[in-house]
Formats: sequence, structure tokens, C-alpha cells
Amino acid sequence: MSTTIPRPPTDPAEYDAFGCDPNSDVIETPDKVSPNIRLTRKVHGSFDVTMPDGRDVRFWGFVDPNTSGGDRTWPSPLIRVRQGQIVHATLDAAKNTHTIHWHGIEPSTVNDGVGHTSFEVSNQYTYQWQAKTPGTYFYHCHKNTVLHFEMGMYGPLVIDPPSGPGLLFERHPADEDQATDLRYQVEAIWSFDDVDPRWHELNHSAGLCGEDAGLNRFEPKYFLISGVPHPRTERDPRVIVRARKGQNILLRSINATYSNLDIRIGLNSTIVEMDGRPLRTNPQLGTFSKPIPVPAKAVTNLTPAQRTTFMIHNVQPGRYEVTATYKDWITNRPHAAGGLARTWIEVT
Amino acid sequence: MRRRQFLQYGGGLAGVAGLSFLSGPLLAQAAPPPIEVSLRIQEADVEMVDGSAVFMWAFSLGTGKPSVPGPVIRLKQGQTVTLTVQNLASTPHSLQIPGMPGVSLGPIAPNGIGSVTFTVGLPGTYFYLDPDRAPLNRLLGLHGAIVVEPAAQPPGSPATPYAAGQATPGVRALFSALGNHARFPGSPWQPGRDRIWVFNQIDPRINKLAEAGDLAGALDLTASFLPRYFTINGLSGVDAAHDEATVPRGRVGQPLLLRALNAGLATHSPHIHGNHVFTTAEIVESSHAVRVLDNIIEEDTWSMPPLMRRDLLLPFAKPPEIPDAAWPPRQEKFPLIYPMHCHNEISQTSAGGSYPLGLVTDWIIEGPL
Ligand SMILES: [Cu+2]
Ligand SMILES: [Cu+2]
Repeated sequence: MSTTIPRPPTDPAEYDAFGCDPNSDVIETPDKVSPNIRLTRKVHGSFDVTMPDGRDVRFWGFVDPNTSGGDRTWPSPLIRVRQGQIVHATLDAAKNTHTIHWHGIEPSTVNDGVGHTSFEVSNQYTYQWQAKTPGTYFYHCHKNTVLHFEMGMYGPLVIDPPSGPGLLFERHPADEDQATDLRYQVEAIWSFDDVDPRWHELNHSAGLCGEDAGLNRFEPKYFLISGVPHPRTERDPRVIVRARKGQNILLRSINATYSNLDIRIGLNSTIVEMDGRPLRTNPQLGTFSKPIPVPAKAVTNLTPAQRTTFMIHNVQPGRYEVTATYKDWITNRPHAAGGLARTWIEVT
Repeated sequence: MRRRQFLQYGGGLAGVAGLSFLSGPLLAQAAPPPIEVSLRIQEADVEMVDGSAVFMWAFSLGTGKPSVPGPVIRLKQGQTVTLTVQNLASTPHSLQIPGMPGVSLGPIAPNGIGSVTFTVGLPGTYFYLDPDRAPLNRLLGLHGAIVVEPAAQPPGSPATPYAAGQATPGVRALFSALGNHARFPGSPWQPGRDRIWVFNQIDPRINKLAEAGDLAGALDLTASFLPRYFTINGLSGVDAAHDEATVPRGRVGQPLLLRALNAGLATHSPHIHGNHVFTTAEIVESSHAVRVLDNIIEEDTWSMPPLMRRDLLLPFAKPPEIPDAAWPPRQEKFPLIYPMHCHNEISQTSAGGSYPLGLVTDWIIEGPL
């Protein structure tokens, strides 16, 4: 062999701080301003979810300690705030260390929840951010993320306009499109996920310090929508959408998988928001996008962590199929164990 | 065995379609000088982030240092380029620029030299790569980025990365707003202010077979690709986060163009913290030509299937969810540092663990406006 291409020289301490031995010196929230809303998420160590084949699979998650009975929820409970609100969100890491990253929300570095750019949280930290753009987001742990995210440590997050749920965003006089109805009477928040049960037997710090935990091998066996495994998705009220003739339906879709996700909806829809940004052209606001019409049964692809929100206007009676195909990130073919979840939109 | 190839394309092929967008006088006035680019291909042991080494093929510019990916080549639209490739490896190799028709060269035998002269096509982000034994040769290192810049910027309107006839109303509106709109205070985009992010994945079993000369076996194994290393510009984790050429840096109001390319076989899902990006171009799937977009969508996560190339404008805006009353920060100090990482989190590992020593880097806001 003629040539060697070496890695760049790196300080071993920096190498460790980047991954194996991150900073956990939690500080007091800097530049604190008074909040409009306070909330808490506490790490819940472990609970089981029974899969359709009878197997119990272990999950971790966040709970809201101020709400009773919510200690076995997966995905973690929805956070819903309004545009303009200053949010103080306290993470109670319980034992071990964790973080919360507010995915799609862009606060200062220390409020971003990433260990290698700030710190991992032991005990408690209060994250500060101000909700700016109505849309669909999610929150998740960003420690050993490859594992902690798969273990279920995430939940949906919605920013509503100041008037609250029921309206996608407030119409602005300079919006090029003044016609589209932005109100909805029925809403679904679908978090798509896939589960490889082998990963759920691992220790919380598996692989972190150089050990080969097989985390480059992901072979999901269960395909779920909002914590409900297929085929229960076909009847579970947490997933099925029920509407009445003439209503507008808003479908917020979050790809929480490690798969290329193809969604097909059995009736015409319009993509009205992606990644927490309304699709709108407005020279005054400095936005340059347009809603995307999607014909019935056409494929919409969501890459992992992407959010896509569909609006269906003025629905007519019928039973419409919705499918999600979970495709391997290398072969781009549905996973061997099925790679499908199906549910329905029922309009009466 | 020594073989010399000299391929020259006539006016028909070289007059790439996009040139017709430019008027004759403008083109003549802007015609950039001809340029010669010479690349070498050689075998290399490439050190991974965990200290292990894998066999790869690497490009170098002339007698410069070989690297994976190969060195970035910057060209201007309409420029006449003579590209020479010298093959110092023990296997034949070829070269292509997908999306730039007619630029094709090889196979070049071991110790051979090949050459092609062509006229540079439409502005945008391109790959040069070895298309042989696809995807083996490119996967094992023979890929690099080409940036094609417009021959001239239209007088009186803001600079964009694209030719006048190529830029869409959406792209023109975005670039007109930068530095000139309440949402984007600061400067307009400056041509050349960009970062190139080439993604790849490595399954050392395949490299090992190629090193032993079993190229057919190595190619077969790509059908059950199980990568253990995930790289951006050939680096992983902390190495990428410390690489000057990889890390975007600047103050609020200094927009930067990200040029993302995926040489590998896995579909990446890059996610950026701190700012959303505006996707301005991607490729046409069938022809690999640059497609400048008109519907300029803001994303925090975007899809990068194999061979995809995307341009994304990183506005370097004040991170929007910092409370207005807390800006600029007083207690928290600049720089503000944000990661960009692939959200198919499998890619955040190396050798089966070691989060986050995978496809991740940082970007840095050095100060306020
Ligand atoms: Cu995320
Ligand atoms: Cu992240």
C-alpha cells in the first residue's frame, strides 16, 4: 500500500467529551425572561408495550408529573403552545442523564438539548424558548440518540396560532393565497415509528464508549402509528380519523422511524405545512413556498424526522384507506417483517 | 500496459443546452479562460474515526495529497476544461460527471492516462465519480464535488448560484430578500460563500475484498451493504466538527449556501439545528441534471437518497426561538454552536456504537448582526 490518509489530529479529551464522556455541568438557564407557560417532562425509566404477537417490548419515555395516570404513554405526551408564548420547559432527568431537543425549534445553544454543544442533564434543567411559527414539531432525548430515540423518548409538539387549535395559521394581508380555508374541525397527530425489539434489551449507555452494540443493524419487526402497532392501527381510536361530511381534516405526520416512509391517503389532500413552516408565499414575511396538492393514493415520502401536514377540505362520506410503507434506508424496499401500517379515515 | 486516451467533443455536444439561456454578447464578455484539471487515482489506507484503517481509492489534484472524497473542483459555466486523469491504481478506472452529458472518460488502464475536453454546463453542484462496477468504485472513494458557478452575475440584481435563465422566480425572490428584508437583515449572499458536504458510508468487509483484488466479490457484497462508518467529507464525529472546510461559520446576516451530495448507498436524512434551510436545487432523477426549484420550502430535515445533490441556503438568521427579549444574549456567550447530523440515527454510530461519531458536524454563529 502506497499511501495512508490519516485522521486529523484530535485532543483525546475533546474526543471523549464529544461522545463517551460529555459535559454534564448543568448551569442555571442564562438570559432568563419571564415565561408565559411552564411545563415539565420527567424521564420515566421503563414500561412494557405488548406487541400483536404477544411479546412485551420495553420502552422509555417522558411523563408529565403534573398529570396523573400518564406514566405509560408512548409516544410521550403532546406539548401544545401558542405562537408568541415564552416557554419554560423543565426536564427532570430522574436517574442517569438525558436531554430534550426541541426538534425544529431553534433556541440558543444551551437550550438546544445537545450534549456535545452544551451539557447533558442530571437532575433538572429549565429550557427556554419562544414559540414563533405555528406548525408541527416534536421533542426528543438527544443523549445516545440512536438508542434513546428508538426506545421511545419522544413526543409530538404543536405550535398553534394565538387563537389556539382549530386554525393552522393566521391569514396575513400580504399572503398571496387568500382563498384556502385554514380552519380544521378534525385533527390527527400521527407519529410513525418502527421497532427492532433487539435494541430494546440494551443498556441505556450501550455502545457509548467504543463497544460494538450492533447499533448499525436495524431490523424492525413492528410498525406503528402513535404507539399503536399494525394491524391494531386499523381500529384503534388513537389512530383512526372520524369526521362528518363537509368538515376539514388536518393530518399532522411525524416520521419518528429509521426508515424511508411512504404515506398514501385515499382521498385528495394538500400539504399545507412542512417541518413547522406553513407553505405560503408572502413577500412581507419573507416566505417563498406554496401548498402542494396531493392526488388520492399518491405517495408522499417523509425522510426520518421530517413532518408533513396534510389538509383535506370538505370531506365527503366514505371510508378511505391510509397506508404507510416503511422502507429500509439502504435497499429502499419495505422491511422484511412487513413494513406496513394501515388505518382509515371514516366520514359519515 | 500503458494506454492513452484522448476524447474530444465537437461543438454539438459541448454546447450544453443551458448556454442558450445567455445572450451572445453577454457570454462573449463573460467567457472565462480555459482551464486544465489533472487528477490522479491511487490506492490508499484511510484511517477511520476509531483508528482502524480501510482500503480505498483516492483522487488527488496533480501530485497533491490524495483524499476521500476527492478535492473540490470549482468551474465556471461555459468554461473550456481539459480534464486529465492519471491512474496509479492496479485496477482500471473511469470518470463521469452525472448530469453533464458527454463528460465521460475511460476505462483507463493501470498506469494509463485519459483526457477529455468539454464545455462546462449549467451552474450547480455536481459529482465527478468513477461509474464502473457501480456502485463499487465510487463507494470505495472515487467521488468528489464539482461546483459550477455562473459565468457572470446579472447586473443590477442580486447574485444567485445559478444562471440568469436558470434561476426561478422563487430563487430570485429569496436571494433578493437576503440582506434586504426585515426577516433577513445583514448582507446579501456572496458568491463563493458555501460549504460542500459530501456524505458516504463504509462497510469494511467490502473494502477488504477489493484490497485482496476480488472486485467481483466486493461488488456482490454491496447487495447486502451493512455500513459501519458514516462520513461527511470523509470525516466522522468530532473530526468533522473540527474541520474548517466542513464547518459553516459567520455572523448573523451572512447567508451561506450548503451543497449536499450523497455518494453512498444509504438514504441520509440530514437535520440542522439553529436555523431552517431553504432548498433551492436538487437533481432530476432520470438525467441527474440540476433542477432549480421554484417552490422554496423551508426544512429542518431533508432527504438525501444515493447520488442526490441538493443546494440549501442557510440564512445565518438569528435563531428564531431565542426570545426576542433575550437577544442578543448577555449571559450566554458567543459563539452559538449548532449541530447538523443525519436523523436516521443509525448513521450516528461508528463500528456499531460510539454515538455520535458518525455523520455529524457543527455550524457556528460567531456573533450578532
Ligand atoms: Cu431531532
Ligand atoms: Cu439533533
